[in-house]
Amino acid sequence: MTAPSEVDPGTPFDVEPAGPAGPGGERGARRTVLRYALAKAGGAVLSIGMVIVATFFLFRLIPGDPAIAYTRDVPLDPAQLDRLRHQMGLDKPLMQQFLDFVGRTLTLDLGTSYEYKRPVADLIAERVGPTLVLVGTGLVIAVSLGLWQGTRAAWKHGSRFDRFSTGLSLVLWSVPTFWLGLLLLMVFAAGVGPIPGIFPTRGMEDVDAPDGPLYLLHVAHHLVLPCLTLVAVVYAQYLLVMRSSLLDEIGQDYVTTARAKGLRDDQVRRRHAVPNALLPTVTLVFIHIGFVVGGAVSVETVYSWPGLGLLFYEAIQGPDFAVMQGTFMVVCTAVIVMNTLADVAYHVLDPRVRSA
Amino acid sequence: MTRVGARLAALGLTLLLVALPAAQAQAAQRARTAQQVPRAEQSQAVRQAQAGQAKIGQAQTGQAQTGQERAVGQARAARDPQGGKKIVRLGVTQSVDSMNPFLAVRLVSSSIHRWMYGYLTVPDSKTLKPSPDLAESWETSDDKLTWTFKIRDAKWSDGKPVTAQDAVWTFNTIMTVDAAKQANGPAVENFESVTATDDRTLVIKTKKPQASMLENPIPIMPKHVWEGVGDIGAFENDRYPVVGSGPYIVVEHRKDAYVKLKANPGYWRGAPKIDELHVIFYQNPEAANAGLKKGDIDLIGRLNAPQFEALAGDPNIVQWNTPGRRAAYLQLNHGAQTIDNKPVGDGHPALKDPRVRQAIHYAIDKQALVDQVQNGLATPADGSIVPPMYQEFFWKAEGADLVTHDAAKANQILDDAGYAKGSDGIRMMPDGKRKLEMRFSIHTDTPVEDKLAQFLTGWFKDIGIALSTKKLDSNKFTEETGFTGLFDIAISGWSVNPDPEEVLATHLCSRRPTASGEGGGTESFYCDPEYERLYQQQLSELDRPKRVELIKQMQKRLYTDAPVIALYYPNNLEGYRKDRIAAITPIPEDKGILYGGSGYWPVYSLQAAALPAGPADDGSSTGLIVGAVAVVAVLAAGGFLLTRRRRSVADERE
Repeated sequence: MTAPSEVDPGTPFDVEPAGPAGPGGERGARRTVLRYALAKAGGAVLSIGMVIVATFFLFRLIPGDPAIAYTRDVPLDPAQLDRLRHQMGLDKPLMQQFLDFVGRTLTLDLGTSYEYKRPVADLIAERVGPTLVLVGTGLVIAVSLGLWQGTRAAWKHGSRFDRFSTGLSLVLWSVPTFWLGLLLLMVFAAGVGPIPGIFPTRGMEDVDAPDGPLYLLHVAHHLVLPCLTLVAVVYAQYLLVMRSSLLDEIGQDYVTTARAKGLRDDQVRRRHAVPNALLPTVTLVFIHIGFVVGGAVSVETVYSWPGLGLLFYEAIQGPDFAVMQGTFMVVCTAVIVMNTLADVAYHVLDPRVRSA
Repeated sequence: MTRVGARLAALGLTLLLVALPAAQAQAAQRARTAQQVPRAEQSQAVRQAQAGQAKIGQAQTGQAQTGQERAVGQARAARDPQGGKKIVRLGVTQSVDSMNPFLAVRLVSSSIHRWMYGYLTVPDSKTLKPSPDLAESWETSDDKLTWTFKIRDAKWSDGKPVTAQDAVWTFNTIMTVDAAKQANGPAVENFESVTATDDRTLVIKTKKPQASMLENPIPIMPKHVWEGVGDIGAFENDRYPVVGSGPYIVVEHRKDAYVKLKANPGYWRGAPKIDELHVIFYQNPEAANAGLKKGDIDLIGRLNAPQFEALAGDPNIVQWNTPGRRAAYLQLNHGAQTIDNKPVGDGHPALKDPRVRQAIHYAIDKQALVDQVQNGLATPADGSIVPPMYQEFFWKAEGADLVTHDAAKANQILDDAGYAKGSDGIRMMPDGKRKLEMRFSIHTDTPVEDKLAQFLTGWFKDIGIALSTKKLDSNKFTEETGFTGLFDIAISGWSVNPDPEEVLATHLCSRRPTASGEGGGTESFYCDPEYERLYQQQLSELDRPKRVELIKQMQKRLYTDAPVIALYYPNNLEGYRKDRIAAITPIPEDKGILYGGSGYWPVYSLQAAALPAGPADDGSSTGLIVGAVAVVAVLAAGGFLLTRRRRSVADERE
């Protein structure tokens, strides 16, 4: 396996060669990990800085005058439009807008939404909860399902189970999320023919939702379809990565040795092959945890789930620059941080990376 | 096998760990809301007592009797909260931007504010002319600059009286505090001063005469509540129950989810006939449609044609199809200029010629567009940008003014004007230097506009004009057709309020882009002395019939000079469940709209059938069943795995 290059192809910080097997090998190794982590953290900070710069200019490339776009259905006279532009800070020179933007971002002030007239940081904070519930649950299920099926499929590759599960996951992976969501909604929420619509058609909760423990059940009821949609379209990647990396391991000498020792098939798989095959999925899971924060825009839109994805979708339609920038930066930062953690975790988990 | 059990347990635990913190935050918020409920009920009882007193004062309204009965019924309902609550659930596909009336601009928010607060006037339910709301009566001074309003004897929902001081505070706040100008700043721009001579008398002095004074869109806010909020721009109006003076009281708002309103038992016209009104947000229109069919919501407005047609055949759903408040029109680039008369953009020079614009008007078969593009769910435009729904202001083209589909006449006009046809059938400019090849700008991903473009291209070809379609995303579209002028012909449309002054103003010289190229809000780059004169005249014409006449002449000018050509007036398409809504009065009363109109009539007039069972009970029992099923499924899957594993292990052991 060529793990290091797969983990992090782009960062300019090279892995420090482990100290020559000198005295205090244990302490030396720990120091290398620390150094490595610091270097990675430095890289992450640099990346986040570049995200800030890119965000600002990227969002200025969108055509149209936000003041006009914002008031699309409200007839305003030029004086009012000017006042609006002033409020939005659009009347300042670009460089000044940029400096203001950087200054505010560094103090964690993500600006004020034009649409909601409220601080973007507040809007994001309000919507993080529902998103974590939806995407977090979805991710846990998708990872468990994907890894389990991937392991089974690889261990008995070529079997009917392998062909069926790989095929099904690939079909679901290629289906447009929005379409699948709408389909599930039409069938299981609205009800078609003899199938009753037993799930809600929208949202995370209804008016007059019950209190206490029943509230959790109420939310779980609303969670079923969005979560199902999300799992269906993402679990394939865990399945495929697990399957292929386990297939790599199956042919290795140590697996043969383990078998030769007379270990049961189950033990060979569990104790020897799977732990080694798990490594690539670690990266995948970490990166996806980063995306959790971004929510699932299509799923949240279909099911009117009040999370970050919905906020982002509405902001694009505005266009509400401040909210778009804010959510974009939060998601990017989360992905970068998680990517860095993945690098470090890899370093800790896989001795080969350290010695490389 | 114990390992599998442990795995399952771990999975369940992880699920809980992910879900719990977020759910806890939600629960905490719920608890806060719940705490306020007893207080709400208590003050409601107080209010009911006061409502009884108020009724004596307004016995002459004729509504007092029903109002009192209602109050008694309410009191009974309050004692037995589960007992047959009458609830109507309204689906909306727009989320609330702000519950603060000083900030909110979206239709859904301003509609809800119409139900929460009183205004000086409200459009009459039949004629849409301004009629008394919180202002009982009014008069103007001889110089047309001073308006004196008599404020009605009404109560805020917390029992305090509504006075002229409340109105003074509201208007003055908007006039003096920048943050409060966001929603309705323009409405007070012409105000010189607002004062109260006593608690019942409000005096507004204007800088210039203002004929549209009675269409003032500003809700009167309770001074005693709002004085203490501090920064108005940061206040979310979330102290529940929100103190108002309209037919409903907001008791809960969950962002991007719903707004819950309760009937205001002390409402001066008498309490509404339902107990609760829920406004439920769907991001996805198809999901909202499904919700209506299923019965998750009872009414939904502002449907597009396919959604509307999808409701056909359901015995419980009424398809409500009435004249709409919108006009769809073509915008012709007849020489776009900035506010200092400098040409901008690249409009085709032929469009500067009014004869070419008129020929184009003759080329269009509006009835065919209605039938083919709008599936018959619209009215062909025989007027300009004010739709016939507003009978009073609508100008109808008749006689010599009327332009009908007539390709021969269009060709004749162009021939006479010297635009000769070339060998390819495309006409040339009179100087022979440029062909009449034009672009038609539409939005991306709008099938209706695609279809429209196909029809126009065919008809334009018949009169020797080559039309090509240019698709733009909405931001680019607004830029090119709104201030850079990079178009020849573009699709456009506008919704009109009961007073069309605002929409007519979008064709004024002053709305053209600034010298530095910033948008000024023009819808046509129009700048016509005649139109300007009429607009200025109507501004200060306080005699209503005379003003109506001026406004009709403005529409006639737009129709004959054709900087814009109205195509059709899309109908207002709505649907509601007749098994849930027993009665609803549209606005205007005979053939009007249910949601999104001005005023509160439809929502105030709502009558509901009682729910067969408590909806909350129903929902949670379904939830319980589903939860139980899910748990069983997980256990079954686990058991299945276990047996599989045992068997495979056994196999391998052999």
